[in-house]
Amino acid sequence: MSIFSSTDELQEVMAELWREIRATPEMAEKLIASRLIVQFRYREPEGLLTVDCSDGKELKIHVGQTDIKPLIEMSMKADIAHDFWLGNVNVPMALMMGKIVSRGPTPKALALLPVIKPAYQIYPKVLEIRGKSSQLAG
Amino acid sequence: MNLFSYLCPTRITFGDGTASGIGDILSEMAVSNPLIVTDKVLVEKGVLDPVLKSLADSGLKEVPIFQDVPSDSDVDCVRRAVELGKSKNCDSLIAVGGGSVIDTAKVVNIGLSMGGDLLDFEGINNLYSPLMPMVAVPTTAGTGSEVSAVAMIKDYESGKKLLFGSRFLYVNAAVLDPTMLVTLPPRLTAATGLDAVTHAIEAYVAMGANPITDSLALQSLQLLFQYLPIATASGDNLEARAQTLLASTMAGMSFTNSGVGIVHALAHTVGAKYSVHHGIANAIFLPHGMEFNIEASAARYAQVWTYLCTAFSGCSSANKALGDKFVSVADPVQAAYQLVNAVRELLKDCSLPDKLRDVKVPEFSESSLQELAETAMTDPAIMFNPREASPDDLISILKEAY
Repeated sequence: MSIFSSTDELQEVMAELWREIRATPEMAEKLIASRLIVQFRYREPEGLLTVDCSDGKELKIHVGQTDIKPLIEMSMKADIAHDFWLGNVNVPMALMMGKIVSRGPTPKALALLPVIKPAYQIYPKVLEIRGKSSQLAG
Repeated sequence: MNLFSYLCPTRITFGDGTASGIGDILSEMAVSNPLIVTDKVLVEKGVLDPVLKSLADSGLKEVPIFQDVPSDSDVDCVRRAVELGKSKNCDSLIAVGGGSVIDTAKVVNIGLSMGGDLLDFEGINNLYSPLMPMVAVPTTAGTGSEVSAVAMIKDYESGKKLLFGSRFLYVNAAVLDPTMLVTLPPRLTAATGLDAVTHAIEAYVAMGANPITDSLALQSLQLLFQYLPIATASGDNLEARAQTLLASTMAGMSFTNSGVGIVHALAHTVGAKYSVHHGIANAIFLPHGMEFNIEASAARYAQVWTYLCTAFSGCSSANKALGDKFVSVADPVQAAYQLVNAVRELLKDCSLPDKLRDVKVPEFSESSLQELAETAMTDPAIMFNPREASPDDLISILKEAY
């Protein structure tokens, strides 16, 4: 059974996390400078979230279906995303083992992994606010 | 023990003259209209002849040949090969060449099998069905592309490197025929061989290392330390060609499942910017990358050193020099440095340069150092390195290697 009970819950948690990332200059500035559009496609439950930094000015978050064409797509089970934000997933290894599918210039996304590391500390707080702190043990 | 997965679905056929059996391999695959992907030099030297004869003996006399693969292949070349394959209704591929040829053929296979725009398939695990059957016949002993699940080509139009990674990119059969390598010049033999040495050493300490990749890396290194200087000095020594070819494939099976590291990240970056051969760039960076990693991986390097000392301790009089060189030490850090020194000596034995300035790389400015370090930080190889590196760490290595 997934950590997330529904698409709505999954998307709300992920959107909240990205809003926190956007509000943290040490992460936001470097993400915006990348000018990437990355789309996260989740399954079990299904979910879709797009992070758009293409204008180099602001980090826009789109929840659900969108017409924006991403440069990179990352597809995974929602539980893998949960483990990732807890700092428990080595993304290159997960790619190698087929747990994550990436489409597009993957190295550009991998290069941003060190940038978003501070979010590992933020994610548990987002879960706590959403009343999901019991999931922290994984 | 950590969770791991290991995959190598490629059938490997090894031995002198095995390229003459390609017709039989295609018959077993139930295909009859292959596209050969190769380069002009190999065609001119007649290296392709045993393959063509085998196909003719199997009744395939008019096989289309795409021979325009450059040393640094690109999208345009792939598209032209795809057009040729389509126009001839090809049902399979045979790649005869080094890493660039085999990588090109893999991407051609994506184009022929999947149709549509190649860029739609860029990424990792982004192929969802098997491709056409493909056979690879390496003519260098180094890249391991014949057993890897990745392919990399350039897109000159956009100035980008395109990375394709998928279990469907493993070729169906790899034919390791040492006779296909006898015309390879000494410098290329040494450079590609050091690529294999780098694969094995980086695979052994990489984040994804596991007991299977370890055993392949260790055996590969034993063969390379013993036979690479011989293959370099005497290209017609078929035993040395055979052992280095086998070692290269084993190192490929290892790194494609474990990852590589900081040496490859720097070699990709500097190689692309200053047109330094990939094997030579690896050779130059390898001792420096190892020294950087000793802080995290001394015990692992020491295991390699101990393995090699044991392997060479009983060497015959002909190889007594190896036994004298590889002497066991108890302290892991000291053993790790012994391994680094052995790599440096291997470079000398193979007459390879050990400084970037010796391969026409211009002196680095502060801004170029910064740019190179930032680019290397985005290289996928560095994600598997056992010790996290900062841009300043990379700049230090670049300066040392210059």
